[in-house]
Amino acid sequence: MNRSVLTRTAVIGVAMAALALAGCSSSSDPEPDPSGSAANPYASLTGTLDASGASFPNNYYQAAIEAFAEVAPDLEITYRSTGSGTGKREFGEGLTAFAGTDSTVKEGDGPQEGSYLYVPTVAASITISYNLSEVPDLQLSPSTLAKIFSRTITRWDAPEIAADNPDATLPAKDIVVVRRSDGSGTTNNFTKYLVAAGGSDWTLGSGDTVEWPADTQAGDRNTGVAQIIQQTDGAIGYVDFADATASGLTFAAIQNADGNYVVPTLEATTAALAGATLNDDLTYNPLNAPGADSYPITAPTYILVRPTYDDPEVGAAVKGFLTWLLSDPVSIEIAHDEGYATLPDSIRQKALAQIESVTVG
Amino acid sequence: MFRWLTLAAGLLVLAVLALILVFTVKEAWPAIQHEGVWGFLTGDRWVPNDPDGPGPARPMYGALAFIYGTVVTSLIAVIIAVPISVGIALFLTEFAPRRLRGPVITVIDLLAAVPSVVFGLWAILVLGPWLFDAYQATHGLLGAVPVLGSIFGPPQGPRAFMTAGIIVAIMIIPIITSITREVFATVPNADKQAALALGATRWEMIRGAVFPHSFGGVVGAVMLGLGRAMGETIAVSLTIGAATQITANLFGSGNTLPARIVQNWGDPGIPPGRSALVGLGVVLFLITIIVNYLARLVVSRAEIRMKGASA
Amino acid sequence: MLRRSALSRGRRIADVALRVAVWLCLIVAVVPLALVVYFVVVRGLPQWTPEFFDFAGRLTTRYQAEGGSMAPAIVGTLLTTGVAALIAIPLGVLGAIYLNEYGKNSPLARVIWMMTDVMTGVPSIVMGLFVFLAFVLLIDELNALAGALALACLMLPVVIRSSEEMLRLVPDELRQASLALGARRWRTIVSVVLPASISGIMSGALLAIARAAGETAPVVLVMGVTRRVNWSLFGGNVSLPMQIYDNAQQPYAAAQARAWGAALTLVVIVLVTTLVGRFIAARFAIRER
Repeated sequence: MNRSVLTRTAVIGVAMAALALAGCSSSSDPEPDPSGSAANPYASLTGTLDASGASFPNNYYQAAIEAFAEVAPDLEITYRSTGSGTGKREFGEGLTAFAGTDSTVKEGDGPQEGSYLYVPTVAASITISYNLSEVPDLQLSPSTLAKIFSRTITRWDAPEIAADNPDATLPAKDIVVVRRSDGSGTTNNFTKYLVAAGGSDWTLGSGDTVEWPADTQAGDRNTGVAQIIQQTDGAIGYVDFADATASGLTFAAIQNADGNYVVPTLEATTAALAGATLNDDLTYNPLNAPGADSYPITAPTYILVRPTYDDPEVGAAVKGFLTWLLSDPVSIEIAHDEGYATLPDSIRQKALAQIESVTVG
Repeated sequence: MFRWLTLAAGLLVLAVLALILVFTVKEAWPAIQHEGVWGFLTGDRWVPNDPDGPGPARPMYGALAFIYGTVVTSLIAVIIAVPISVGIALFLTEFAPRRLRGPVITVIDLLAAVPSVVFGLWAILVLGPWLFDAYQATHGLLGAVPVLGSIFGPPQGPRAFMTAGIIVAIMIIPIITSITREVFATVPNADKQAALALGATRWEMIRGAVFPHSFGGVVGAVMLGLGRAMGETIAVSLTIGAATQITANLFGSGNTLPARIVQNWGDPGIPPGRSALVGLGVVLFLITIIVNYLARLVVSRAEIRMKGASA
Repeated sequence: MLRRSALSRGRRIADVALRVAVWLCLIVAVVPLALVVYFVVVRGLPQWTPEFFDFAGRLTTRYQAEGGSMAPAIVGTLLTTGVAALIAIPLGVLGAIYLNEYGKNSPLARVIWMMTDVMTGVPSIVMGLFVFLAFVLLIDELNALAGALALACLMLPVVIRSSEEMLRLVPDELRQASLALGARRWRTIVSVVLPASISGIMSGALLAIARAAGETAPVVLVMGVTRRVNWSLFGGNVSLPMQIYDNAQQPYAAAQARAWGAALTLVVIVLVTTLVGRFIAARFAIRER
């Protein structure tokens, strides 16, 4: 609680600075109402922005876009939760103004090298959600997790699961594994985690899709997976924290790099972010991060923007929205309410500078 | 002038069909080439991506699991729907009191009018959870029996071949019923009266006079229902579980050709992913055309025979 | 006269069993229909709030939040189905006129007739793929016109077949009388044959429209998305079936409730169209005699 209050105050300062900069660069705008524009530099943004991509941060983005509509009433932003794969492809085809993605851009995804910049926004846990009324507090080690998702373990009363849960009475039921049917950044981060932490127990590699074992069920986007788990006794799957919480799923505590079993919470996610190192392109990897309290399956999410926007209206709107998204206290409060961890200050500053570097016109 | 206008409209049908074939085959070609025709049809691995690390070194497009799922769900649907449809058709032609006939026909027509997505919604939110309990009971009962045990294997939740088959069965009942009813109505009254006059019971009359006469027509109706069942997309996509699986277990989840297309259209993976999805469409198109053609053939043969009989 | 009791026991049991089985079949078919209708009404009706039909409102994109307008999807459904009907019905009737009035039993007419049959059997998703490849890729936009074209392709063969059957019912005497009075062939068709069969044609067309309104698969592929009411054929659009499909896969009660509300709206639209079609058909049946 204390921490978030601190960040909030720190952030307001950053926001002011960034806005001052943004105000200077958009000199083409005539100043209509001095009182209004001084208080609210976003009011002058106009037009429509179409964006698509990751479903992982969707709950946050939608709530934030709704709140931003109050600040910039003449700007209409649409974010379609399509999955990272489609987001990257549509951005690459020039159909959208920006894209949400949880995974980095690979060759063949769509966008050409040099035609995009990463803006990290928030991070969140990927929960291992399950439906097993007999076991309210499941604990899983990375190796057991890898075996469950590669179907080497197919029963809930398997010795590996029993070893992780010495106190639980495990039912003699089949495990139903649920994964994504669409290309997904959540899948990408989850499988990356399994590669990093699962060792020789995970042999399926990582990617927006992998070749899942044949008898795994699939759902459309995070919410589709959540629905299947909700309806299926004995099911287990990976769902983003916001959707898992909102749909009332139960999630497992996962053994982190320090050997502790940690339940996904906002605090555990923030703890994982503290240990992450930032790459030059502003991508970072909080998966399996060190720290006694870090939740190990913590995934970043990015917004892809173009280095240059030809249309000044679109460019100003993208920059304005993202600046607000990263720095405004309202946006940050929304992120926390929806269960997303906001960036530590060091990363946020660089992200804001990245937005500032986008040229318009 | 007017004549040519009408001819053009008629030719439009031929043009659209030809264009469908040209456009879809052309788009599907890169993916089919990627695997080879045989590989595309008989591969059972579908990975529209090149994952990092171990695993397949390239995207793989094998349609077999989806072909299997399409055939299995539509067979389940037909096996359930045919006896019910024949029963309703018999009810309408032989048993129903005159004043019941109209309302029953209306009800069956209404069944046909309910959009498939509404059946899908009901199936996944209401029927599926009920069926899951039934599957568990059935598996508990038959799980140990040799062959039945693997057909009614361990349930994997409400989403299964069986759920999809049942919901499609409900959707094709009106089609099979209406054609079967028409076929039964062509049975010469003289035959039926003759059978009854010889002292046959209703059942014996139906077995001896109605069934032999209308066998071909009923087979045609069934094939038409089968064609329709294979193309059903949305209700199946919601209820089958989207697993790329070939299994004898009807309580397991799988996928069908059209369902796979609609699930992944928004995100077909790296090229030639979209091409591969269109390839699934081509396979579906060809299968349904063959089934429908055979159906029409059987029906028209039967029609000729029936006309001969009634003349 | 033989009495029932004179029959052997086995034969009697078989006869009674058949009676029971036939009634059972009817019940088995009616129960799902009743259940679907019950759930759609009971769960859908509470969704019918003024906000649900607010034409200035937006579709919500937050699945777990209640509310939001369904008007954009209602407009999308009416728009695509309406335009599809405007394309498919005239073309279908013209095609039927060729088959029944000009082509008759010529080889070409027989081929067209057979291909119409084949086209009826083309799965709707394949129509969606076709329109995407032939139209969407060409104009580089997902829009309502593409949806309408896909639905028109699905309706065309149905309209041709039903209209052709209706034209066949028009007695030849009418045509001969008109021709004998010196009317040209096309005049005869337009002023004698068509008016005599128009209500039958209309009822067949309305049934085709009802089917098309409920189609989901092809429109999902080609329509794109919008959050506000879009009366234009261009730009992304949504339809009721798409909204049902999307919301049905959500874990949230609010989204599922929206799906039921949209389902009730769709069923009412389809039902009204079907009933109007049947009403017209019933009136026509009287005139036919």
